[in-house]
Amino acid sequence: MRELRKIGAVLRREFLSRVRTRAFVIGTVLGPLLMAGLMMFPAFLEKRHTRPAHVVVVDAASGTLGARVVERLAGEMRDTVTRTRPRYRVERVATAPAHVDAARDSLVALTRDTLADAARVDGILVLTDSGVASGRLQYYGTNVGSLREMERLQRTLTPLLFGERLARAGVPPAVVLGAFGRIDLAPVKVSNGAITGESGEASFVLAYAMSFILYLALLIYGMQVTMSTIEEKTNRIVEVLVASLSPFELMMGKVLGVAGVALAQLAIWGGTAMALTTWREAIAARLGVSAASLAALPIPTVSPALLGVFLLYFTLGFLFYAALYAAVGAMCNSTAEAQQSQMPITVCIMAGLFLMFQLIGDPSGGLARTLTFVPPFAPFVVPVRYSVSPLPAGTLLLSTATMVVGILVAVWLAARIYRVGILSYGKKPTLAELARWVRTA
Amino acid sequence: MSDPILSLDRVVKRYAGHTAVRELSFDVPRGGIFGLLGPNGAGKTTTIRMIMHITVPDAGRITLFGEPASRALAPRVGYLPEERGLYPKMGVLEQLVFLGETRGLAAREARRRAAGWLERVGLADWTGRKVQDLSKGMQQKVQFVGALLHDPELVVLDEPFSGLDPVNSQVMKDVVVDLAREGRTVVFSTHIMEQAERMCDRVVIIARGEKVVDGRLADVKREGGGRHVALVFRQGRERAAAVLADRTLVARADDYGASAEVELAPAGDPDRLLRALVEAGVGLARFEVVEPSLQSIFIARVGAGAAVAPASEDGRSAAHAREAAHA
Repeated sequence: MRELRKIGAVLRREFLSRVRTRAFVIGTVLGPLLMAGLMMFPAFLEKRHTRPAHVVVVDAASGTLGARVVERLAGEMRDTVTRTRPRYRVERVATAPAHVDAARDSLVALTRDTLADAARVDGILVLTDSGVASGRLQYYGTNVGSLREMERLQRTLTPLLFGERLARAGVPPAVVLGAFGRIDLAPVKVSNGAITGESGEASFVLAYAMSFILYLALLIYGMQVTMSTIEEKTNRIVEVLVASLSPFELMMGKVLGVAGVALAQLAIWGGTAMALTTWREAIAARLGVSAASLAALPIPTVSPALLGVFLLYFTLGFLFYAALYAAVGAMCNSTAEAQQSQMPITVCIMAGLFLMFQLIGDPSGGLARTLTFVPPFAPFVVPVRYSVSPLPAGTLLLSTATMVVGILVAVWLAARIYRVGILSYGKKPTLAELARWVRTA
Repeated sequence: MSDPILSLDRVVKRYAGHTAVRELSFDVPRGGIFGLLGPNGAGKTTTIRMIMHITVPDAGRITLFGEPASRALAPRVGYLPEERGLYPKMGVLEQLVFLGETRGLAAREARRRAAGWLERVGLADWTGRKVQDLSKGMQQKVQFVGALLHDPELVVLDEPFSGLDPVNSQVMKDVVVDLAREGRTVVFSTHIMEQAERMCDRVVIIARGEKVVDGRLADVKREGGGRHVALVFRQGRERAAAVLADRTLVARADDYGASAEVELAPAGDPDRLLRALVEAGVGLARFEVVEPSLQSIFIARVGAGAAVAPASEDGRSAAHAREAAHA
């Protein structure tokens, strides 16, 4: 009971001293602002470039192709939902094939910046029969540098040209039109004998996001555990502490306190993200941009079970690695030293993240099944596996148990190193010395 | 000394290179001020760390309150280590509450006591300030308060006055004396003999890890009584040198320039010394047979050579590591 109170005191101190720092406040506020910015930025950009691109079609092709191209381009809208703002302002200039170059050159002269918006030409599309046959159409434009613009134009034109070729080969236009109908695969997740309503894409995004959050939190806060330990040594307060606290109490409190800070920050960010996506229309209206033009942050439908698994493994993984980071702090005397010594841990965390990428492809393969029970990697692997298909309760329980054992071993190991390391102000120990510390502590 | 509050029984602490404490035994009776004296590197801090159970002895037994020393007894002991520090970015009161909590106090109680103590040491206006805004002397006071917050029966202070200016040193001395007056037992280590002489009821002097003097201060001084002479020179100071160098007359002399403290040789006596000095033409302002100062006892027993630490600084830090390895 008294031990718990002492751990609580260390935990509280660690938590409060971190939460009250300027860095935490700025980081916590900046995160949501950045999120909001990411969401709003494209909308503002779109708002600035509302003038439709002025495209002139130099039509030297036979038949009605030119007219259909014009019609098609004129129908392209900037926003796909409300369909209010046309992407192009299109004009058609019919010429004989012999005069194509002359027509083009006179139009190119109209692209000068000094011309008024209404008169200025942004692009010239040249349609010739030979071009349609060879598949090489010429487009002259001020915006050809934008890969996205060009790709969009190509995508818009391709079905028309396919259709034209097929029609010239004698296929009836109605058949062509039917053949170009879009085919969508709509993935719907089934789990445990029921349709969940989650889309496969959402699960992927979620698993990716979760692993990445864990990865970042470990790198950022892990270093803080190390720093905090080193700081206590350089402040010389550690000797006062070890006279009344056991190394285990001290370290457990520290690790839990920092974990609390990470979870608090995560909760604030998660809450803001949720609020932003829920009220995005209202926010957009306030800022005077159309809601439809907001970057659609995917709002995955998270089942409470998946969220629970994520939080559980986030906490377990955090505690496991934080204990290791504390041990690094215990054996080092300076930040520079610590940065070297924590390399193996950082490598482990990065391996976990990269494994997660692998496993998204094969979430129930042998590797994934094995790593579920390997403490350094389970925190990355289990949420991914679970997001794809819920694990049986037995597997989950066993994995959690190995994780808990892993944490206890890590804490035990770290406490032993800690115990010796905290009173050692000398040089960094060698591996052999470290082993002796663990044996004799 | 039927019921010592602290007792060391043939305690040994060995490091790879040397033995820091060998066969050290002494008892600290309940109440009063106890001085653990010795030159730098004598093993004072090692001994205190073992008392605080930060490290454990390789052999021998340490008994606190009649029980084997353990961390469970920490709530009854106040400890101010030589290597002391605070969290620089924490508020003064907050810091004290935290220290109190680590010693088992409830937060509310710790807060109440800390406020009272800050008042007592003249830091009442500083409770909300960060530790890093305080002067070094103020920080030491805060550390001191931190060690006393949980109302310990036994207070162990390692070099408590080092680094304090005379004013703050005086404040701390008053607090220590008050603690003893309230019935608490104070054990403190120092290598400054004048301080120990003024404050301690009992002293143990250790050198090279071994005990050389142990007892009530008055007894320790009386043992050498009648054999010491305090001199203050008026003139002809340089002519005294030959007399003081006469080993049939003078065993040892602490020469302070304008004054000297002399320990007589077994064959010498005060009358002969006075006659020799007068005959040599030395003018004296003072000639008095005295009890020896603790300083001269210290020098006599420990020897000037022991004032040099036996191990290098590197050896010490390696020693710390090894010491902790056994904790």
